[in-house]
Amino acid sequence: MSAQGKRLLLNGNHAVSYAVKLAAPRVIPVYPITPQTPILEKITDFLADGEMDAEVMTMESEHSAMAAAITASLAGVRVFTATASQGLLLMHEMLHYASGARAPIVMANVNRTLGSPWGFWPDQTDSLAQRDVGWIQYYCENGQESHDTTLLAFRVAEQAMLPAMVIHEAFYVSHALEAVELVSPEQAASYLPPFAPLHRLDPLIGESWGNTVSQQMFQDHRRDLGEAMEGVAALAKAADRELEALVGRGYGIVEQYRCDGAELVIATMGSMTGTARDAVDELRSEGVAVGLLKVKLFRPFPATDVRELLAGVPKVMVLDRNFAPGTGGFLFQELKSALYGMRGAPPIHGYLAGVGGTSISPAAIKELARGALAEEPSANSVWKG
Amino acid sequence: MLQFIIQGRGGQGAQTAGNILAEFFFQEGRQVLAYATYGGARRGTPVSSSLRVDDKPIRMRCDIEKPDAIVCFDPSLLAGTPVLKSASAETLLLINSVYPAERFAELGVKRVVSIDAKSIAKSHQLGAMVNSTLVGALLGVLAYGNVALLRKVVAETSPVKAAENVAACLEGYRIAREGGASHV
Repeated sequence: MSAQGKRLLLNGNHAVSYAVKLAAPRVIPVYPITPQTPILEKITDFLADGEMDAEVMTMESEHSAMAAAITASLAGVRVFTATASQGLLLMHEMLHYASGARAPIVMANVNRTLGSPWGFWPDQTDSLAQRDVGWIQYYCENGQESHDTTLLAFRVAEQAMLPAMVIHEAFYVSHALEAVELVSPEQAASYLPPFAPLHRLDPLIGESWGNTVSQQMFQDHRRDLGEAMEGVAALAKAADRELEALVGRGYGIVEQYRCDGAELVIATMGSMTGTARDAVDELRSEGVAVGLLKVKLFRPFPATDVRELLAGVPKVMVLDRNFAPGTGGFLFQELKSALYGMRGAPPIHGYLAGVGGTSISPAAIKELARGALAEEPSANSVWKG
Repeated sequence: MLQFIIQGRGGQGAQTAGNILAEFFFQEGRQVLAYATYGGARRGTPVSSSLRVDDKPIRMRCDIEKPDAIVCFDPSLLAGTPVLKSASAETLLLINSVYPAERFAELGVKRVVSIDAKSIAKSHQLGAMVNSTLVGALLGVLAYGNVALLRKVVAETSPVKAAENVAACLEGYRIAREGGASHV
């Protein structure tokens, strides 16, 4: 058994940086943006102190940072980058390219509101708007989970040969100081093997990427990409089990919390999960049978697991700290789609709660849950924030 | 659970004060969750730091609705801002001001302690950096006894002038514990 890691007081961003140090990427192309910048700052501290050896490339934009990340990854080295909000959106074109090139980059994204108007608040719309770009997406509840998930993401990304995002929210996680138990260097070394891809860009080998292809080749390539994504759920579960065996902390790809005999299950992602745990505990102590479903892996969406876990549940209430005008909350949409056609599928209340970073307390969630138990759900998301 | 809100303006060190307090309670072996929010990310705009302390892991991630104490770095924040919206009869309001607590009676908060942190900081060659003094004052007014740890944590977390910060912190602690109001 490897030595236990140190326990430090860290904010969520620095918890990611410590995991990046353990993963030891060779190239880190970045462009700073609030509230991501502390991730980069801590990494450059590690470099200055000689605790890390990587090439940090400060690019002229996020688009260029992702372009550099792709090419570095294709050269056969482990690559990390981080961004947020507008920066993630500027990368959009290159995000598609990264998955198409099968470059297993790991990127931290700190959820922040999108302009206009301007803000720095926790809201998941930035990363959820990238749900169709072929990246694995993990949503984290706290700094500990962000630390552990960064290592998980490298492992799964490099097995599936797909890029992965590790996502947490501005302030509530990114700038929240709390105790984090680090994975030890010995544990990390046994968990994450060196990155050694079958193919890489090297003038001595003479491989190339991104050539013009025929329609059939393009379709075959997209199908391969889809199959790789479909395989992620199993890889992610295995990687999670092994991490739990090693460090004693496991998360699953979805988590059920106190769902036994629940009349209502609250479904949510990210930092709202912690607040919802308090609400569930209080409701249970008041005799109201409410449980919680936390969706950690959002891409690929764990539809099979969600169908199993929600089978027989009388009602579901989704809390979305995100919003797509015209369709509503993203998790609400995905859950409805996952449960469609299931015999006895539960009716779902879709609540927009915490959009723009508005504060949602345990008391507010309790009130929403009591309301959802008494009301008929609407087909569309309902504003409750 | 203990809940504190620290309100200042960008550049005054309110976020750092929250971090020092978080480190203090963490080293004491308690569970903490502290974060700062800032709207403008620039000097002079309101910055709020929230700190929760408990004996079990803290899971909720939302604004503090019922603070045990509010530390106000700048009394100009008290007028026309939502600093006091969460204050209840039990809330302690610690204000950095040259004026005595009675001056703030109109705020309607029962427990107000005023401390001239600016003068204390200045007397310890800290210029306008009042955060170490106010950290000490908050723990003093709560009569929080672990002064040895406070001394250690402030020294460890001071980027410069560790001895001066410790001295200012302990003076803030002493005056606040005696009821505040070190006023000329």
